Amino acid sequence: MVERRTFFSVALPHAILMIGVLIVFFPVWLAVVASTWDPATIINGQLGLLPGPYGAENYSRILFSGASSSTREPVWSMMTNSFVMAVGVAVGKIFISLLSAFAIVYYRFPFRMAVFWFIFITLMLPVEVRIFPTYKIVADLGFLDTYQGLIIPLIASATGTLLFRQFFMTVPDELLEASKIDAAGPFRFFKDTLLPLSLTTMAALFVIQFIYGWNQYLWPLLITTRDSMQTIVIGIRKMITTQDALTEWQLAMATAVLALLPPVIVVVAMQRLFVKGLVETEK
Amino acid sequence: MAEVILNDVKKTYPGGFQAVKGVSFAVPDGGMCVLVGPSGCGKSTLLRMVAGLETITGGDVAIGGRRVNDLEPMERDIAMVFQNYALYPHMSVYDNMAYGLRNRKTPEAEIATRVKDAARILELNDEMLARKPRQLSGGQRQRVAMGRAIVRKPSVFLFDEPLSNLDAKLRVQMRVEIRKLQRALKTTAIYVTHDQLEAMTLADMLVVMNAGRMEQAGAPLDVYQRPASVFVASFIGSPPMNFVSGVIESLGVVKLESGETLPYDVNEHIAPVGAKVTVGVRPEIAHVDDNGPLTLPVELIEELGMGRLIHARLGARPFTIAQGPGEARPASASVRASVPPHAVHLFDAGTGLRV
Repeated sequence: MVERRTFFSVALPHAILMIGVLIVFFPVWLAVVASTWDPATIINGQLGLLPGPYGAENYSRILFSGASSSTREPVWSMMTNSFVMAVGVAVGKIFISLLSAFAIVYYRFPFRMAVFWFIFITLMLPVEVRIFPTYKIVADLGFLDTYQGLIIPLIASATGTLLFRQFFMTVPDELLEASKIDAAGPFRFFKDTLLPLSLTTMAALFVIQFIYGWNQYLWPLLITTRDSMQTIVIGIRKMITTQDALTEWQLAMATAVLALLPPVIVVVAMQRLFVKGLVETEK
Repeated sequence: MAEVILNDVKKTYPGGFQAVKGVSFAVPDGGMCVLVGPSGCGKSTLLRMVAGLETITGGDVAIGGRRVNDLEPMERDIAMVFQNYALYPHMSVYDNMAYGLRNRKTPEAEIATRVKDAARILELNDEMLARKPRQLSGGQRQRVAMGRAIVRKPSVFLFDEPLSNLDAKLRVQMRVEIRKLQRALKTTAIYVTHDQLEAMTLADMLVVMNAGRMEQAGAPLDVYQRPASVFVASFIGSPPMNFVSGVIESLGVVKLESGETLPYDVNEHIAPVGAKVTVGVRPEIAHVDDNGPLTLPVELIEELGMGRLIHARLGARPFTIAQGPGEARPASASVRASVPPHAVHLFDAGTGLRV
């Protein structure tokens, strides 16, 4: 197909895309603006579209001392909790998925396909469905209010296993055979050949799972009760619903903006690897 | 340095399919054995059994006097060159060659010497050693794959159609290099190919396989001059041998289905008078002769530069004559040809075996 590049064929798609960006970006901008005003302006409905003078004060207060009317936990500690959880979930998922995909693709053991289908079926069982038994197990293990309790129940990943399985199946058999002849055992083959080749796939999975872990709400809500263990998503929620006091919207918005940053940084930093991992099949 | 002995080696897949149906031969120390046959004849399976990549379901394989059936590939002291090279894409050329040695805990200084030596033999310069395989051309990758085998100093080289991914010109060049290299290193080698020309030129010992069986084993010239069956005769030689059916008319004379008679060498073939045979004549030995016994209507003449192919018919069968550069192009629509008696091959019409 030969495309004639007229003014409209260039301008129209761009115009549509820009409108889309504006629609998506507007609420984010409002959050940024709201985080820089004082409560009075927001409550009175005088909030404009330009940032106000209270930015530095709001951010330093929320980061280091916390909102007074709801949770008193400073946001930097919530962010640390969220970060530990998101990294733990992402790294854990990658580790478990790599090992299980390796077993399924390269080992011949009884009921191999049955095991594979079992893993596949768990795709239909997200945290919400198995929440009660999972809570019971975590509670019995004494993992309530701990990082292990936040991370471990979430790290089994059918998606990751499938992704790595598909990738491993495209690795030519000759590489395995060459490794055998080069005196590399199964673990060496995994470490020296499969892992380096899977780097881009790992990056793609890391991005997806980091955001998944960062955005978790239900699970941390259930198993963390101490303020010092709460994650930022829960923190925002607590700030919005306060009893016997006005919601400190400027602080809630500042927290929301801060909560946005780490996922954005991860996506931007890993974007090239991420796209490569999903698209490319370099062998 | 080792001799490789296969004794009644069989491969039956779990589904019941028999890929290799009992093959025995011995490759002498330092010899180059070429397994040749059409695709699906079991030659690669056989090689992979020697390498230890396929289990052996019957018979024995011995390398250097040691039965290796139950040994892992790494314990068999072999090195293998794969058809698609199987270089590790994420490692530099140097690391590709060094990997096997590192896994065997060879000191790093010795690895460096060995890799440098191999690189020198294969004419890979230092700059290439630092590159990744994908930055190399097909011929260079081929050299790296060879290098990976050489640095190990194994007792046996195994080649699995190593040249089939190269273009025609490079293939001829690499063929010569592999032969020189193998001669220089005096390492026993088994080489699998489906290209009969490659097989002829490389082999000290040629093993022709068909449908999981060994049809013939011997020196390439012997196989060419005295093929053991119609299959071998048709597979080895290019253009392929001409076949016509015939009957032994009297001792030393065979009568062709088209009516003509040809004399054959009675020292070569023993067949009773009246026996039905398949007569084989190599295109390059049949020659145009105005007084010859065969009359052949010409269908097409192909000029090759270094000679020409005359595609003609003998009765109902196609019959090709290959002419050398000095010979005159036939002008008429039909030629007469003769075949020296020693070049008439006779095979049993029923079993296809040489009589």
